[in-house]
Amino acid sequence: MRDILSLFFAYAKSGLKSRFQYKLDAIVATFAVFLREAGGIIAMYLALLKFDTINNWNIDELLFLFSLIFITYGIFIVFFMALRDFSDWIRHGDFDRVMLRPRGLLTQLVLCGADWLAALGHGTLGIVLFVISASRVGIQWNPAMAVYYIIAVISGVLIQGAIFLFFSSISFYVVETGSLKEIFYWNMRKFAIYPLSIYNRFIQSILIFVVPFAFVNYFPAQFFLRKADMAAYPEWLMYISPVVGVTLYLLAYSFWRFSLRFYKSTGNG
Amino acid sequence: MRTMQTAKNIIEVNNLCKTFKIHKRATGFKGALKDIFHPTYEWKKAVDNVSFSIHEGEMVGFIGPNGAGKSTTIKMLSGILYPDSGDMQVAGYVPYKQRKEYVANIGVVFGQKSQISWDLSPLDSYEVIRHIYRIPPKQYKENLARYTELLDMGSFIRQPVRQLSLGQRMRADIAAALLHSPKIVFFDEPTIGIDVVGKDKIRKFIRTLNQTDNITMIFTTHDMQDIVKTCERLIIIDDGQKLYDGSLENVKKGYGSSRIIEAEFESLPISLDLSHAVVSDADNSGLKKRIAFSTDEVSVNEMMSALMNTHNIKDVSIREPEIDAIIRDIYEGRIVMN
Amino acid sequence: MTRYLSFAGIKFRSKMAYRFDYVLGILNTLLSFVVYWSIYKALYNGASEVDGVTFSMVTTSFLISLGLSAAFHKNEMFLQDKIKQGTIANELLKPVNFKLRMLFEDMGEGAFHVVFNFLPTVIIACFFAPIQAPSGARDVLLCLVSVILGYVVLWEISFIVQSWSFTLFSVWGLITIKNVMVNILAGAYIPMWFMPDWLRSAIRFTPFDSIYFTPVQLYLGELGGKEIVFHFARQLFWITALWAVGEYFWRSGIKKLVIQGG
Repeated sequence: MRDILSLFFAYAKSGLKSRFQYKLDAIVATFAVFLREAGGIIAMYLALLKFDTINNWNIDELLFLFSLIFITYGIFIVFFMALRDFSDWIRHGDFDRVMLRPRGLLTQLVLCGADWLAALGHGTLGIVLFVISASRVGIQWNPAMAVYYIIAVISGVLIQGAIFLFFSSISFYVVETGSLKEIFYWNMRKFAIYPLSIYNRFIQSILIFVVPFAFVNYFPAQFFLRKADMAAYPEWLMYISPVVGVTLYLLAYSFWRFSLRFYKSTGNG
Repeated sequence: MRTMQTAKNIIEVNNLCKTFKIHKRATGFKGALKDIFHPTYEWKKAVDNVSFSIHEGEMVGFIGPNGAGKSTTIKMLSGILYPDSGDMQVAGYVPYKQRKEYVANIGVVFGQKSQISWDLSPLDSYEVIRHIYRIPPKQYKENLARYTELLDMGSFIRQPVRQLSLGQRMRADIAAALLHSPKIVFFDEPTIGIDVVGKDKIRKFIRTLNQTDNITMIFTTHDMQDIVKTCERLIIIDDGQKLYDGSLENVKKGYGSSRIIEAEFESLPISLDLSHAVVSDADNSGLKKRIAFSTDEVSVNEMMSALMNTHNIKDVSIREPEIDAIIRDIYEGRIVMN
Repeated sequence: MTRYLSFAGIKFRSKMAYRFDYVLGILNTLLSFVVYWSIYKALYNGASEVDGVTFSMVTTSFLISLGLSAAFHKNEMFLQDKIKQGTIANELLKPVNFKLRMLFEDMGEGAFHVVFNFLPTVIIACFFAPIQAPSGARDVLLCLVSVILGYVVLWEISFIVQSWSFTLFSVWGLITIKNVMVNILAGAYIPMWFMPDWLRSAIRFTPFDSIYFTPVQLYLGELGGKEIVFHFARQLFWITALWAVGEYFWRSGIKKLVIQGG
């Protein structure tokens, strides 16, 4: 464990050091990430100025729902950035280098790829939203709720990590997975920003069974908010995010192990 | 020659095969449209039944034209690629099965792909490498000091890599691959794009290291001078198959009987009727001729007298064929090596 | 001119080499539409109209802006990559106008996305979402012309930001910020009708509403004779103004490049 931590810090130090070679660029990039994500919120806010609620959720409740996405994603990119951009690692031959080092492949990928500035952009946004909204939606915090919240966040990170571990494994067969990610992650995330209940049955099933974003934010948020639209789903769905996260990750991990042998490296020289 | 008989094999490869599936893209608008619905593939045998073994401490040049399969072989040897079939054992491990344990014993230098960060100094990158390989502090310190000196890196080891010359960067990269004291080092085109002086520094260093530390080295390159100046043994691979495996001397010997005389004549007309030679123009004045022949058929003396007796010669030079030319002939099947 | 058109053609064809991308591209565009459709369906909650705007007007406006963003689906780091790799100098030696060539290549790529991603999306969308039929053939034609003008406005804004890569280390952050502004202020995220009045009147002084909203209004037949002329004039004004600005940054960038010796 100490060994892993020291490796993590060694990577983090060199990563930050190289990023801060270009200080102005680093600041602009962080701000840009922050603004890009805030863009969706601004659009939501403007729309709600006109319409007041969406499926009975007011703006504060929506922001609470939103905040879970950003907080989990902010942590996600600390650990899973390399998997998010794994096609690039393959295309540029960087994965060859990972294979040449005497450490677990995922250990290296998880520890080394953090984009700290983007994490800061997303994380700050998530925390700001959380602080604003959590007080206004009237949550009565107690230790059990705090524990639930932490577990929900970890599960959310794990679910997203598992999704990208699947994509990364697919990169061993077809290098270019940009469109897949676009559809099965980024577009699904656009859906997840709003309450699950506003979508038709088909999209709901995708968000529950295929790309289970519902367990990243909707069901955990319902645990705190108990909105009326939860009546459409069994109550225990609010409690199984960790199970979903761990199961999905294990599935993705076995697929990864299986797919590794199909790695072609770049160029067939 | 070092103790070839007593040295044990550190690399053992038998009947290695690797095939890639290649998507054949159709051309033109119609072809592109057809490609969507009916993609066509073809199978390419990148490595086809290759066997060889290498002794501990040996230094082997691995050459072949582009796409010959040398990189694929190296990548299988270093644990990156799974072979389709065949056995291999390197340093007591099966690379693709025991990757994690195995790679602690090897170092790999890619001339085309640096392992040190562009924005950091070599020293910063070495720090990370130290953690990854769990190099004991004492060993790290010693190796770092030694390679800094041998590779003459003192002046730039703290500068960001983006400010270094290509030659400096490559030296920093070579040191990075050696910090954990590997038993085997693979060099994949380590001198590519580097100027003559830089190339020489690198070759000398590699040669020295091989002799003093008994590190086994595999060297792929396009530059035959790399091989000539460093290796004793040569493996030539083409189309996935091994064409030659033996000493560099033998290659030269096998084709060593051919000579080229380049002669500049005083005046025209020149009438050369030589039965055992091929004559061509060496420039467009018509006065300079290139005469190629084999000493098996006619000696240099005889050829020279034949020329001198019939013509007045202003200048003359006799050359042995260059290794590059020999290798090219081997690739193109003009000579078969056994 | 035919030469520049052939640049567009080559780019169009080269995009066809990636067959996996067609199907996924359609799905992608479709999903983006479904997100907006679902959100506004829930917001409308069965109401026939809000502030005189019907649900079908909203979906139609999203579809048109989606078409234009599909057309604008391009690599905005292009110029920076060329400069960083140092290949820009070679490009400048070629006897073609680099900027025009870039515009036409991008249009070729855009045409690919419109034909292979956007049009299938429109057809599928018609099955489940209310899409307003155009008010007449004349409106369709006017809308098409204004879409192209809107595209050029969008392209020029992007070019201006890209041209800063002569001075800045990386323009990625600025491009991202620009895209956020375009998406919100030009009405790709929220239809212009629902913006607060103060914001809407502020936007009227910027090039943003000539990107998506002018084509939308023309398609829906919301503009009368004089207004049509006025809106086209505004689009043309912004094209000229932005071209001049872009040209300024481009030229000073090139000058810098020459002084530094590439």
